[in-house]
Amino acid sequence: MTALLQVGRVSKTFGGFSAVSDVDLSVEEGEIHCLIGPNGAGKSTLFKLIVGTYAPTGGHIRFRGQDVTQAKPFARVQLGMSIKRQAPSVFKALPVRQNLHIALQHHTAPDRLEREEERLLELLALSADAAKLAGQLSHGQQQWLEIGMAIALKPTLLLLDEPTAGLSSEETRHTGELIKRLNAGGMTVLAVEHDMAFVRQIATAVTVMHLGRTFARGSVEEIVADPSVAEIYLGVPHAG
Amino acid sequence: MLNLLNGPQTMGRGRVFWICAALVLAAALVYPAFADPYDVGNFGYFLIWIFMALGLCVMWGLCGMLSFGQTFFFGIGGYAYGVLAIILGNGPAATIVGLFGAVALAGLAAAVLGYFMIYGRISGVFFGIVTLSFTLALAFFLGQTAGPEWAIGRARLNGFNGMQGMSPLSVPWFGGPVVLEETALYYVLVAGLTATYLLLRVLANSRFGNVLVAVREDPERAELLGYDVRRYQLIAFVLGSALAGVSGVLYTSWGQFITPSSIGLPAAAMPIIWVAFSGRTDLTATLVGTFLLLVGFQTLTIYSQETALVVMGALLAATILFVPRGFVVGIGELLARPRRKRLAPALSPDDARP
Amino acid sequence: MMGNLFSYFYQFADVFSFLVLSAAGLAIIFGMMGVINMAHGEFIMCGVYVTAATFHAGLPLPLAQACGTLVAALIGMVLEVVLIRPLYNRPLDSLLVTWGLSLVATQGTLVLVGSTFPGIGTPGGGFEVGGYGFSVYRMVLFAASLLVLAFVYLLFMRTRFGVHARAVMQNAGMAQALGVRRSQVYALSFGIGAGLAGLCGALYAPTMSLIPTMGASFIVEAFVTVVVGGSSVLLGTAPAAAALAIVRTGLNAWYGQIIGQIGLLIAVILIIRVLPDGFSGWLAKRES
Repeated sequence: MTALLQVGRVSKTFGGFSAVSDVDLSVEEGEIHCLIGPNGAGKSTLFKLIVGTYAPTGGHIRFRGQDVTQAKPFARVQLGMSIKRQAPSVFKALPVRQNLHIALQHHTAPDRLEREEERLLELLALSADAAKLAGQLSHGQQQWLEIGMAIALKPTLLLLDEPTAGLSSEETRHTGELIKRLNAGGMTVLAVEHDMAFVRQIATAVTVMHLGRTFARGSVEEIVADPSVAEIYLGVPHAG
Repeated sequence: MLNLLNGPQTMGRGRVFWICAALVLAAALVYPAFADPYDVGNFGYFLIWIFMALGLCVMWGLCGMLSFGQTFFFGIGGYAYGVLAIILGNGPAATIVGLFGAVALAGLAAAVLGYFMIYGRISGVFFGIVTLSFTLALAFFLGQTAGPEWAIGRARLNGFNGMQGMSPLSVPWFGGPVVLEETALYYVLVAGLTATYLLLRVLANSRFGNVLVAVREDPERAELLGYDVRRYQLIAFVLGSALAGVSGVLYTSWGQFITPSSIGLPAAAMPIIWVAFSGRTDLTATLVGTFLLLVGFQTLTIYSQETALVVMGALLAATILFVPRGFVVGIGELLARPRRKRLAPALSPDDARP
Repeated sequence: MMGNLFSYFYQFADVFSFLVLSAAGLAIIFGMMGVINMAHGEFIMCGVYVTAATFHAGLPLPLAQACGTLVAALIGMVLEVVLIRPLYNRPLDSLLVTWGLSLVATQGTLVLVGSTFPGIGTPGGGFEVGGYGFSVYRMVLFAASLLVLAFVYLLFMRTRFGVHARAVMQNAGMAQALGVRRSQVYALSFGIGAGLAGLCGALYAPTMSLIPTMGASFIVEAFVTVVVGGSSVLLGTAPAAAALAIVRTGLNAWYGQIIGQIGLLIAVILIIRVLPDGFSGWLAKRES
């Protein structure tokens, strides 16, 4: 079986600085795959390479069996990727409902659009704020709205760049539940995450990055038990 | 499709609005019965320019591309019509070919220029000054074409004095073709403008319009929602520029002349002033505001053209400094506010519905 | 042979100095503030008119030219405070405001001064190389364009203002935290940009007939040089002017002025298709 997303020996250098080098990553269908690693490990750069914001300096990226290494971002999205970016990037000057509408209109027949909007608004607990401008929402609500826009595309692979950044623990737990529910509905998820409690809550597979390279890969239990992973996070050599 | 006449991209959506709009249209239709043909022709002259203002509203207001090239495409449309109408002669068939040929040429020019700019990732202030450079260069070029070697067939370009003597548009009609002048031209303009306005409203609130607004707000986010952003920008640019071509053809046909001065400065600034003053994000505001400014400008021009232009320049600066969203949009929002407050509970969920 | 070669150099120098002198002021303001000054042509016109007026009042030409430059710079600083300051971080809006200003200035001058103004004869006479005649003043203009580039280099690299200006350009917030007053730097930058526009006008005043709309004959060249050059005067404007001058000189020589200008624009859109950040972006990337 081939993986849904296959990143093979991908590198990216900026000027002389190598942000990501020879990274391998494969995401199987049905996984909730978390990408972890200390700051500066290259996680966000890797995400931008996967979604096509950056072009890699080497290596290849395959998605659903197709080589997308050189494809434009919109083409990858049309193939079934969808991303929630790190900083909430919703259309701040447009109403919440229109934000969802713009994402939904891709795959939804015009007569079902309104029902789908309502359903998503309810799912995101934003029904009461539908007419507000997205910029007036709280930080947490904007994060959720952007997740809503990402899932409105009905992606095969949902990419989440730090979905819980700036959320309260309550909101974080809700987000985790939402992600698990989407996954149960057949959506594969790849998330960059710092919060290890959150990773334990949702992940079925974990890849660790360090200094621009793939460092380890396994289940949550394996990674947590791996002494060398603790070492790179704590920055001290593991004794024994 | 009719339900798309109302939506988040257009102000004015209640029954009161549409009744007012119908009254304005009715008044425009009966106007020639009460006015002499010269005034009717002059009224028509104002309507000619509104096409290019609406085109700029689509590009700039909806899609965020500030093009200073409306008079570039106006000029291409106008000169192309002039050349075609001189070569092909008069009569409905010839002049209608001239009309469509000229607008198509303006659209083609927009596609080529737009391709290089948009795919060259020119945006923001550079989009403006590149389009303006082309506009001024065209005006300069046409000013140098006084000699007899600058002719296409029988059509002389005539340098600064401009082209003249092309046949005006005419249409087939019961009992023989009608040349579009004065009242006949006026009715065609009213019909054409009404149709353009309504179609653009539908377009603005359609799937396409939603994408344009998304591109205006955040092109990168729009691309990550799966939209081929640059293709949408190019389509909007070609559409808006072709509407400037329409204005050019109508202007040339109306007066049977066109000169380079309707392309260069200060002409190139006028569409920007109309649309900025009116409120670039709204088609209705642009329609109303452009008309008002044209009337005001002509009135001032009777005393002194220079003074009229000084006023226009000051108006542009004042708009940007004090009412950046535009005067007419601002007034429209003031008018809508008390009503909305009163009806708020019933209307609010509906208001934001695309 | 010698005459031919020199003639090519002379034409190149003529176009190069025109591009550098007309673009330098625009490029400084754009590079510093991200603002495209649409009234650039009118600052040039101001330089021309003040030079001509003071010259006719009896000042020697170089002094009259200094007056033209200074008056444009002062007006620029005042207008920065009044019109541009409320619009920091709104580059499109400041562009539109300056366009309004440009209309007011052109048409206002037409009303107040009228459509013609007595000109100044070109000084300096001519010289001959290999049987061809050339104008001395054009060579003065070429020297002036090199001096302007040197002035900009010294200003940014060797003065306290330059240090502050580069700090604001890199990171306005950080510079302010370190005690650099952004508004002061911007007012001075705009003044210097307007002054360089005035200087351009002052220098070309003896070569042109004076009409209030004459600014328009400079701005296309100024715009395209800045578009191709990008945001840095030294890394952008100078190489862009050199490249465009080669294109323009070649086309002028073989096909005439009209093709020269059209060819210039075609070269511009081809270059931006290949180098989206202009010469300065490209050079900066190669350096890093």
